[in-house]
Amino acid sequence: MSITLALPSKGRLREQALELCAKAGLRVKLPGDDRKYRAHVEGRRDIEIAFLSASEIAGEIGRGAVDLGVTGEDVLREKTADWERKTEILARLGFGHADVIVAVPEIWLDVDTMADLDDVAADFRAAHGRRLRIATKYWRLTQQFFSGRHGIQVYRIVESLGATEGAPAAGSADVIVDITSTGSTLRANHLKVLEDGVILRSQACLVASLKKRSADNEARVAQVAAAIRKAVG
Amino acid sequence: MTRLPSFAPDMLALFAARGAGLTDVGVIQPADPFLDIAGEDLRRRIFLTESETGEQLCLRPEFTIPVCLDHIAARAATPRRYAYLGEVFRQRRDGAPEFFQAGIEDLGDKLTARADARSIADAHALLTAVLPGETLAVTIGDQTIFEAVLAALGLPRGWRMRLARAFGDDTLLDAALADLTNGKRSSSLPPAIARLVRAGDQPALARFIEAGMAEAGMSPSLGRSAADIARRLAEKAELQSVHLTAKTLAALKSFLAINVSLEDAASTLSKFARSARLDIGLALEGFSTRIDAIAASGLDTHSILYDAAFGRPLDYYTGLVFEIGAPGADRPLAGGGRYDRLLTLLGAKKAIPGVGFSIWLDRVAALRGTA
Repeated sequence: MSITLALPSKGRLREQALELCAKAGLRVKLPGDDRKYRAHVEGRRDIEIAFLSASEIAGEIGRGAVDLGVTGEDVLREKTADWERKTEILARLGFGHADVIVAVPEIWLDVDTMADLDDVAADFRAAHGRRLRIATKYWRLTQQFFSGRHGIQVYRIVESLGATEGAPAAGSADVIVDITSTGSTLRANHLKVLEDGVILRSQACLVASLKKRSADNEARVAQVAAAIRKAVG
Repeated sequence: MTRLPSFAPDMLALFAARGAGLTDVGVIQPADPFLDIAGEDLRRRIFLTESETGEQLCLRPEFTIPVCLDHIAARAATPRRYAYLGEVFRQRRDGAPEFFQAGIEDLGDKLTARADARSIADAHALLTAVLPGETLAVTIGDQTIFEAVLAALGLPRGWRMRLARAFGDDTLLDAALADLTNGKRSSSLPPAIARLVRAGDQPALARFIEAGMAEAGMSPSLGRSAADIARRLAEKAELQSVHLTAKTLAALKSFLAINVSLEDAASTLSKFARSARLDIGLALEGFSTRIDAIAASGLDTHSILYDAAFGRPLDYYTGLVFEIGAPGADRPLAGGGRYDRLLTLLGAKKAIPGVGFSIWLDRVAALRGTA
């Protein structure tokens, strides 16, 4: 029997995840062919590695198709309905930092907080004949934060699959919800983060599916989790 | 549940007897009006699909909006009462995602007190017909009275709007009140702008903001304008200079605590207004006229409850809101209210007042099963 650990298939996140695994004593024997998306841990035929995109990892953990995975907390909360019931964050890994934030044009000098935005949204329809528009790829997080946390109902989400920061200047949205790590892209686009507009301080996490497994596999999951926690320090 | 409830014919007969014509509403509806009116949060709960040309469609999650849209499209004469009975589709935490609702939307009747009373009486009569012998508790609230109290207290517009939005939701209302009582509202404006705000120089402020928008490459015609922002800056500065006083807060709280039979509601409200030294005369007059109309419609005003803090979680209600339920039950059997702005929001060229209610037939069926 074996368990599957899903790792990001691309970029910096992949490198950092592999480094961390190595530090935890889980040396991944990379496939000779880069196009292969399966591997295993050296000396551990019972720990399979699957290279997937971060959002696929969140989905597969939610479905229970993989046991463990490294993905961003933002992606996990966004992609997995009922994530708290289906998955468990076993460790925060100290890399892949990104904040999911609410940002408005800098020139909105009267808007510093979500309460300000609530006022603006409520008046928007009367003045402009349409609702306030929020560009984001984070539908679920946006709805939870605006409607659930702040009781703001009257806004519309426009889906944005890239260059979200450009939406306000382009006129396709008024406000954005996006990730930022340094804030420089926001500044370059004349946007500012609201004082209470941090929806989530996200980083890469080791996540487990809460599906039922055999006692052996449960022990393997616990063992990997312990090794990675120790490596994170 | 896709079979018509056994008691549906009784309701249809009562629609006819009370002079409300049955209307036919499409199951598949454009999704936009629902998301626009009820808010983006509804998206999780409706069943969305797309037409071949990319239009977002949904299975009707309720009847009020489609009835109003059909009315506007048909340019039908008013006043007119539309009755409906059919399935609605909503994903719910509890209960099946498709269930029956029945109700009446009353559009364009300018005699609003009479129309309000008739709406409550219709809902009550329908429930009585299908739940014979069941005790029904009627609760009514009124957004107009709340707004009149806020205005009489002399609260600035921004505060009144915020409190009115929170009306009917205790958690939101408490949070808004706490924020207005002791919230820190400092803002860090650049000195040049702070000066213009203090001087109340709106045109200069708007010019400054316009220049900033140009620098950021924002089109001044696509979203909030420089004048919008300048106006709200001034409004916000005004709000920062005042806090809700203990006296005002006490008056608001004692108003919100009013919970009396409709028979005593008018006298309780005028006693409150006198002791708090508030003039809510006009709103109170409308309220009293409605009580008379309710009494005239044959309902027992002793057994109807007026709850000053009672609102329903839909922001299109403008005046009366009401619910009818089995005493002590946590979910109502029927709910409704007045929505005088809704038809304009949906595209009607002239203002058309409206009032209506909806009955949850699955809850009625459950009660009949246990009765």
